[in-house]
Amino acid sequence: MASQLIIARRKIGNSIFVAFCWLGAAVALTFLALILLSLITKGLGGIDIKIFTMDTPAPGSPGGLRNAILGSIMMCALAMVMALTIGVLAGTWLAEYAGQSLYGKVVRFVNDVLLSAPSILIGLFVYTILVAPFHGFSGIAGAVALALLAVPVVTRTTEDVMNLQPSALREAGVALGSPLASTIRRILWRASSTGILTGGLLAFARISGETAPLLFTALNNQFFSWNLTKPTANLPTVIFNYALSAYDDWQRLAWVGAALIAFAVLFVNIIARTLARESRRS
Amino acid sequence: MNAQPQAETYESFVEQIPPGTAKIDIRKLNFFYGKTQSLFGVTTGFAEKQVTALIGPSGCGKSTLLRTLNRIYALYPGQRAEGEILFDGRNILTGNEDLAALRARIGMVFQKPTPFPMSIYDNVAYGVRLYERLNKADMDVRVEESLRRAALWDEVKDKLSASGLGLSGGQQQRLCVARGVAVRPEVLLLDEPASALDPISTAKLEETLLELKTDHTIVIVTHNLGQAARISDYTGFMYLGRLIEFTSTEQLFTNPRAKRTQDYVTGRFG
Repeated sequence: MASQLIIARRKIGNSIFVAFCWLGAAVALTFLALILLSLITKGLGGIDIKIFTMDTPAPGSPGGLRNAILGSIMMCALAMVMALTIGVLAGTWLAEYAGQSLYGKVVRFVNDVLLSAPSILIGLFVYTILVAPFHGFSGIAGAVALALLAVPVVTRTTEDVMNLQPSALREAGVALGSPLASTIRRILWRASSTGILTGGLLAFARISGETAPLLFTALNNQFFSWNLTKPTANLPTVIFNYALSAYDDWQRLAWVGAALIAFAVLFVNIIARTLARESRRS
Repeated sequence: MNAQPQAETYESFVEQIPPGTAKIDIRKLNFFYGKTQSLFGVTTGFAEKQVTALIGPSGCGKSTLLRTLNRIYALYPGQRAEGEILFDGRNILTGNEDLAALRARIGMVFQKPTPFPMSIYDNVAYGVRLYERLNKADMDVRVEESLRRAALWDEVKDKLSASGLGLSGGQQQRLCVARGVAVRPEVLLLDEPASALDPISTAKLEETLLELKTDHTIVIVTHNLGQAARISDYTGFMYLGRLIEFTSTEQLFTNPRAKRTQDYVTGRFG
């Protein structure tokens, strides 16, 4: 009964394999759950109206995160405007015009390298071109550093989404007498819009928690300010500074900041997934 | 000594259409996808305000021939055509042709429906807006007229602002026809327009084409021999990149002269 033996061995082998997979998933999910649990218990508990109405305090005095929240929103928004402009155009060029030309291949390859570039390197690079020469940290430099991180993501998603559009759609636009450029702008971009938007949201989720590039560029600011040409407060750096401090109230604020970022990212990811599902359905 | 294998010869019976009736005149057309030649010295004409059908087995070059007529192939580097295509007497294969303007005069409907991601109304108005500046009332008239000609008006008149993507396949294809005729092209090219449609939608589309014939020169590629016989005035049979036979539809289906044509229309190969 050799065949029964083989089947029995297969069943055992399969059970062991599934058990290891299960264990691996459990370990990963446990840590994720622990992170979320500590964010919820230590972070969400500290959220009150003062977080949004008061600025980062000196140790021992009451305060909130208003300046850091504003700075983060302004820099991320500016970064996304730059990244979407450059990324969508670059991705469109790669999908529609570059083809298999050498220049196209080089751009595609370099973009893929940038996609996984360490963010601290981007921070240092922007420091050397936008901070050191002007003798000052600024929110604009911070936004540029974040944009550099987001551009490759947007470029890549745009190219991928536009390549998914049937060539018949492109031909149909052109066959009506519409030049290729306006076919792209008025038909292909519209057909790709949810995909491009999803890419943009994922890029936003990626940059919103980045600390390293901001340490060299935006630095930080204890005060409320709309001015992006000066050092600008931001949540990641505040978390970094306050979490390492010896003061209980600062550490509590760091947890709140971390929770805010985590849930903002979670929220954006849910929107992106919903959009992606919508576009697949239609 | 064995005889050298002869290169296969292709007997060819291309009948000239009556002089002066050609809207499009093709002379010694060769076509290349990169290094692969896929059309070999095609010479024929398409008569004005008549329906010409192109039939033949898959890969015989019917679609390629169609795609040279509005130079849609020019979107792809590496594809090129040699010879002459005279459109109202002007060779459109010469370099200085304004392709967008040419394509506005030669419309095209594709195998799969390709509605644009916008409302039904805007789908039809899209091409018109490229070349004409109509006020709202005139545009409304044009959209209605085009949808009527494509036999779609009654089905969509109450939901013109709904997305074109929400229509059924057959409706989408008739929307593409409406979109094509809205710019009032002189020629309409159709590349197997009914291959993705059910029989009822196909019948509606065929009726539409017969009506459009009064104003447009129509060239249709089809795998459906019955369709070619029903709607066309002239039929060309292609095989391996050559135009084997070209004559009136009646003649081609009842009394084909080439052996290959006969085999194909009687279903012996293809």
